[in-house]
Amino acid sequence: MIDPLSASLIAASSGLETQSQRMRIISQNLANANSTGKTPGADPYARKTVTFAEVVDIESGARHAKVSQIGVDNAPFRVEFRPDHPAADQKGYVKFSNVNPIIEIADMQDTARIYEADLQVIKQTKQMFSMLAELIRK
Amino acid sequence: MSEIYLLSLAAQQRDWLSTRQAAIAMNVANAATPGYRSADVPSFDAVMKEAPISLAATDANHISSRGGFSPDKSTSKQASWEISHSGNSVSLEQEMLKAGQVSRAFSMNVNVTRAFHDMLLSGLRG
Repeated sequence: MIDPLSASLIAASSGLETQSQRMRIISQNLANANSTGKTPGADPYARKTVTFAEVVDIESGARHAKVSQIGVDNAPFRVEFRPDHPAADQKGYVKFSNVNPIIEIADMQDTARIYEADLQVIKQTKQMFSMLAELIRK
Repeated sequence: MSEIYLLSLAAQQRDWLSTRQAAIAMNVANAATPGYRSADVPSFDAVMKEAPISLAATDANHISSRGGFSPDKSTSKQASWEISHSGNSVSLEQEMLKAGQVSRAFSMNVNVTRAFHDMLLSGLRG
């Protein structure tokens, strides 16, 4: 068991790490929102999903967050009739990725909110540390 | 002053507040984890009232309890402001409010301790 203030710094930083990984996946999804397959009729980029899980750190007893799985969204691809497109199949349909920018932006806001809260906790814990340090400085 | 053990009581409250801060940090870190139930520490009153009984470690391999506080995982459903569809019961607003309470109480505690410290020192210096 380490002291609880250090444990809270470790836990909050695990939150920062998971949320920044989530942000990375969101930006990948947004960047590929209009991706198509490379060959005619090929499947395009499929939206990635992030799943979190709770892990217990035995040494500190703190319950961290971690990214447990990066999965793939099985939603159907967006299909458009574009016979002139290089990735069009024989009937002239092109499959675009199943990323919905609105959902990604909503996810992004949630991520930013949690990230901010984590930063706030770290800031406050640091303040508590320095208050304690002030006590011995005389 | 020795009758009320002020400095030791203050240290205990600081330990309790630190543990509560750790519980808040864990909740915020897991704010997006499905099925996570938010944790909190039993109130300082309640902790002080119950007699602490710790197990005696008779062997070097026994796990000894630190004698400190520990976040209680079983926060009731009513205690949490919101439970999302994924079964997560962390409300960020509530956690920020708790963090504010902890910070205020900690600051108060440190300042009271300093005041008593100064009193002791001025007694010593004469």
